[in-house]
Amino acid sequence: MSDSKTTGLDEIRLYAERHGLKGLPEAQFARLAELATTVREAGLAIPRMPSEEIEPAHLFTVAPIRGLK
Amino acid sequence: MKAKRMNKPSPNAEFTAAEKPLHFLSVAEASRLIGGGQLSPVTLVEAFLARIEAVDATLKSYITVTAERARAAASAAEAEIKAGRWKGPLHGIPFAVKDNYYVAGIRTTGGSRLMLDHVSSTTSTAVARLEAAGAILLGKLNTWEYGTGNGGVYHDLPFEVACNPWDLARFTGGSSTGAGASVAAGTAMFALGSDTGGSIRLPAAACGLQGFKASFGRVSRAHCLPNCWTLDHTGPLTWTVEDNAIVMQAIAGYDADDPSSADVAVPDYRKSLHAGAKGLVIGYVRDLGPGGEALDAANAAAMDEAVRILEAQGAIIREVRLPAPLADYRTVTKVINWGESYSIHETDFLERSALMGQALREKMMSGFTLRAADYLAATRLRRTLVDATDALVRSCDALLIAGAFHVAPRFDEPDTIIPFTADTATTVFNVTGHPAMSVCTGYDSGGVPLNAQIVGRFFDEETVLRVAQAYESATPWRDRRPSL
Repeated sequence: MSDSKTTGLDEIRLYAERHGLKGLPEAQFARLAELATTVREAGLAIPRMPSEEIEPAHLFTVAPIRGLK
Repeated sequence: MKAKRMNKPSPNAEFTAAEKPLHFLSVAEASRLIGGGQLSPVTLVEAFLARIEAVDATLKSYITVTAERARAAASAAEAEIKAGRWKGPLHGIPFAVKDNYYVAGIRTTGGSRLMLDHVSSTTSTAVARLEAAGAILLGKLNTWEYGTGNGGVYHDLPFEVACNPWDLARFTGGSSTGAGASVAAGTAMFALGSDTGGSIRLPAAACGLQGFKASFGRVSRAHCLPNCWTLDHTGPLTWTVEDNAIVMQAIAGYDADDPSSADVAVPDYRKSLHAGAKGLVIGYVRDLGPGGEALDAANAAAMDEAVRILEAQGAIIREVRLPAPLADYRTVTKVINWGESYSIHETDFLERSALMGQALREKMMSGFTLRAADYLAATRLRRTLVDATDALVRSCDALLIAGAFHVAPRFDEPDTIIPFTADTATTVFNVTGHPAMSVCTGYDSGGVPLNAQIVGRFFDEETVLRVAQAYESATPWRDRRPSL
């Protein structure tokens, strides 16, 4: 069973197939569906930034930030 | 010179200097003996190999022991020292590294079935720097698979789980499991681990060590198996703070092979090590906010006592609070870790997930379904957390804050293992990149180690070491060793 907030077994099988996942033990698909729900909830719980000027920290280095050399 | 052996030390053994077995010498103690011609590197390495032989079938700190390579290096070191070419405090000192540091010609498994036969042609910069300083590699240490996971221990990896030397029925903390076990038990004089959310500091906490995650960019990660590019750190686990300073001196500094390496001058870490805490402003994060109620009473009491000790030495204590809930730091760490780790290991997951242990497979499953927008939301929140936390850290000379909230959990209570990894304030400083050291703050009523973190300003590892040394030198915790 799934609803709009959870990921069902059929849905996760299709997702896995569509994204090239091979050889996942059969017993693991139910766990994958559970984790997909957990990940979705964690992602949506992250506060969104109020300004577009708050950029990602993906190029994270502390030395240039502090001007240390 | 050969220190007097103790065949059967009592539980939680305490030794006088003269009675101390060679495998329980600190780096600084052994270094003084070697430099003074009173101890041979060959004797010292043989003592460690004998210790490994005696206890590691039980302890399981090692995945690979490189005995003959170590013996050859010890003979070379002895000849160099006899010829007057002593290289410094690490010359002839035996160490080991988590099995996610590549060493040319030696198997690096990452603790995984997927890498059982992997032999690298490169050597990690940190290991190369230690060997250039004369340190002698004993082997590769146990680890969670790929140095990561979901926080659980499932006993489903190709190598048995390392045990905590203070109580073999307990977990060492992860992911640098063998690093924690080896230094506490004396199967390595010091060890290198890696830390994405606490994996140096948590084994240090669980095993009663001093574990240092320096500033992001301070210690090279080049030629180590990556876990999460923007949160990974490498660094030492040692018995004493002085040992940590000695090792840091050799491994810190810019490395062009690591894209995140910082070109920031490295000071002499031992110059102000014994300057004491007088006049330093220590921010004490007694109130951790929501989530902080999980902190063990024994760890909380030990931190209060640490504050009293530092204050008695003349430190100025200010109670402060983190600028955001612990949950924010933890979520940022979790989501970034899922995304980056999946990106690194995507091919393995898509094609060979059946070979993975449950802990790694579940983490990969999480990354598999993560949305890019959520990953980027985490990195944007991270920027605000870095700025706000840095303002707090810069308002003091150092912070004192909890590390692992709980003592090492028991294997027969598996429900307590994930909380040991999750209930911490270690992730805060992976998110921000500040230097953070886990220090032993004593033992609970059952003799299991307690811990706290000392945190410093960006690239001010010197002050972290100084505060840690001031605390360590005023406490008796280094006089006690686990009995195996």
